[in-house]
Amino acid sequence: MASRKIEEVEKKPFLPGPVATVISLLIPGLGHILIRQLNRGLLLFASVITIIGLGIWRVQILAHREIGFFNQYLKAFDRKWFFIAFITIALVVLWLWIAMDVYRRAKIKKKGGFSIFAFILLMFFAIGWQISEINIPKAIKELPDAWPPLSRILWPWEAAVTRETEELTAGAEILIGTGDEVPPPVPVEVAGEPYLSSTPNIGQLSFLDENNDIVQGTVIHLVGRGYEPNTRTQLWWSDSIGNEFRPRQAGAYVTVVTDENGAFEFDLIMPYRLIPPSARGRQIHKVQAKQITEVGPLIAADPLKLTIELIIETIFMGMMATFFGIILAIPVSFLAARNIMKGSWLTMAIYFVTRTILNIVRAIEPLIWALIAVVWVGLGPFAGIVALTVHSIAALGKLYSEAIESIDHGPIEALQATGANPLQTIMFAVVPQMIPSFVSFSIYRWDINVRMSTVIGLVGGGGIGFLLVQYIRLLDYKAAGIAVWFIALTVSILDYVSAEIRNKFI
Amino acid sequence: MSPSRFILKGFKMLEVKHLTKVYDDGTVALDDVSFTVEDGEFLVIIGLSGSGKSTLLRCTNRLIDPTAGQMILDGNDITTIKGSKLRLMRRQIGMIFQQFNLVKRSSVTMNVLSGRLGYVNPGSSLLYRFSQEDRDKATAALEMVGIEDQAKKRADELSGGQQQRVGIARALMQDPKMILADEPVASLDPVLAHTILGYLEKLNKERKITIICSLHYLDLVQRYATRVIGLRDGKIVWTGTQHDIRKMTDAEFKDIYGEDAERINAGALTGEV
Repeated sequence: MASRKIEEVEKKPFLPGPVATVISLLIPGLGHILIRQLNRGLLLFASVITIIGLGIWRVQILAHREIGFFNQYLKAFDRKWFFIAFITIALVVLWLWIAMDVYRRAKIKKKGGFSIFAFILLMFFAIGWQISEINIPKAIKELPDAWPPLSRILWPWEAAVTRETEELTAGAEILIGTGDEVPPPVPVEVAGEPYLSSTPNIGQLSFLDENNDIVQGTVIHLVGRGYEPNTRTQLWWSDSIGNEFRPRQAGAYVTVVTDENGAFEFDLIMPYRLIPPSARGRQIHKVQAKQITEVGPLIAADPLKLTIELIIETIFMGMMATFFGIILAIPVSFLAARNIMKGSWLTMAIYFVTRTILNIVRAIEPLIWALIAVVWVGLGPFAGIVALTVHSIAALGKLYSEAIESIDHGPIEALQATGANPLQTIMFAVVPQMIPSFVSFSIYRWDINVRMSTVIGLVGGGGIGFLLVQYIRLLDYKAAGIAVWFIALTVSILDYVSAEIRNKFI
Repeated sequence: MSPSRFILKGFKMLEVKHLTKVYDDGTVALDDVSFTVEDGEFLVIIGLSGSGKSTLLRCTNRLIDPTAGQMILDGNDITTIKGSKLRLMRRQIGMIFQQFNLVKRSSVTMNVLSGRLGYVNPGSSLLYRFSQEDRDKATAALEMVGIEDQAKKRADELSGGQQQRVGIARALMQDPKMILADEPVASLDPVLAHTILGYLEKLNKERKITIICSLHYLDLVQRYATRVIGLRDGKIVWTGTQHDIRKMTDAEFKDIYGEDAERINAGALTGEV
């Protein structure tokens, strides 16, 4: 009976229930502390404070132009009324709930009561939804925007192949002037070769006057003969300093179609001048008619060639990084194995230092190591190898050392008993036991390294990632799609192969 | 095949004087143990688990360093020797274990050859190279224990009894003066137990190798031991010959195995499972 009495004395609250309830209305959580429910009180207090803090922050973000919290609150309500109303009402409910919880707990010694924390979790969820700017209606409404890049990435193969082209070109020179100058030579027609003539062959380019009104250039009558019949033919303009471009008329590039004899006639307005009017001397421009036809078999296009080259580079980057990683991780792993290093305080100190360094190095992602390596050894695959090697040493060092720690100590003891020296003991008792996990971890790491080397190029570490990020920045989704396909293919083949090898060894 | 050794009658192979071992956690495993092992003896140590049998055996080849006391092997003080001297001492003492302690993933031959590591050139052994002489010796050792046909198998493909024979073959590679056997048959069935102890007896009789062996079953002790030491809580509480075991009184028995132990027939011990 005595002990029970002490218990009751110990559990007696500092203040009676109703008083604690009122105090809890002033400061949520304090009431719980006053009725000796310290943990629950602190947790509720921290939750309320955090929710209020996050709420104020979001209001300020939503209404950053307003001055004064009340104005900000109104503005925020204006913008996101549902979120603000929800969090305000929920906070009031929570406040009252906490007070009620104090009252009930002071009266009856009730355990449990986790629904209040479920409610708090719900509030955090609402705030999290707001902070991470989740916008599902937008995601649904603008889904079609995803289609152009996605479709190109999913089926990029038109960009993978191309054909050689053959050009059938003829041109005529045109002098810029008023008609008094010596005209440029007129092309001579040779049988069997394309021919283009322009009348007149002296004229003025289009330009904008000082009121930004269009002053149309001379209309030249083009006559072409000796082309392939019934074929689309592009007109090109080349100015006096050799800039080539396709002139437009009515907004579209000018193309003509030849008749059954391979001839055409076309009236072309001379295009806008690109050379400033202050330019002096004879300016001879050239108009050309080109027929471009694809000939010969399909050949690999540049994106495909580059992708294949770089996927090979990527695989070898992963391989080299794994190789260096393994070589360097082996000695490190012995230093990080407790059962090997437990001999003296000095070896234990080495053990702890090695472990700590391994953990830190492993915590830093290869992409971040690549950023450092790029500064160190410059752009290119070597930087990627350095980054992956550093991370591999740490990751493999830890895995190997755990493999060493889990070996059976019996054979070590047996070999010590035969009079073998420490190195012999390691070679005969430790190494054979390590081989299965060693092989398994190494292949697993190779797998990871190849996968990582596909993205390490994003930060300049060489490999296919470098190409991929370039194509994406050029919005060339088809070329990017080829790279993505090859990455997916390589990674899945590697997955399969590494699983097979591991099964063989274990 | 190593030649049989001459036995000098009464020559002291091992002298243990006031040996004490206290572990770091304060456990007193051996408490002032003194005894002498004469050349050619088959000494059996009996006692409960935790009575200090394993510690005593491991102190003998210094796998465990004693806290106090002295050990003299073949006239040399081995209590504090270090480095290569320690290894030269160890290679003269073979050891076999309850759990066999083979490298399970290595071949039987490689396990046997590893018993030779104390003798070979350290450099070439690190590349797993052994001379033909050593390989022939390994084959002979495997023939001696009757498993030469298993030489190429991996150690974990063998049965328990076969593994323990590999353990004996490994110890034989050391050309030992003495073999320490730490409960060599505790993981084996009774028939295999006799086979294994039979090999040890053969080595003891034919090659005059001194054996120190810890055992649990008193019928085995009676059958094989030339002399017996009873350990309890790290102290020697009984010594005698194999004939004395039969004559052991219940009081003496309880002295070794504790008050709760009960003798069944004149053999097996029931004090522990």
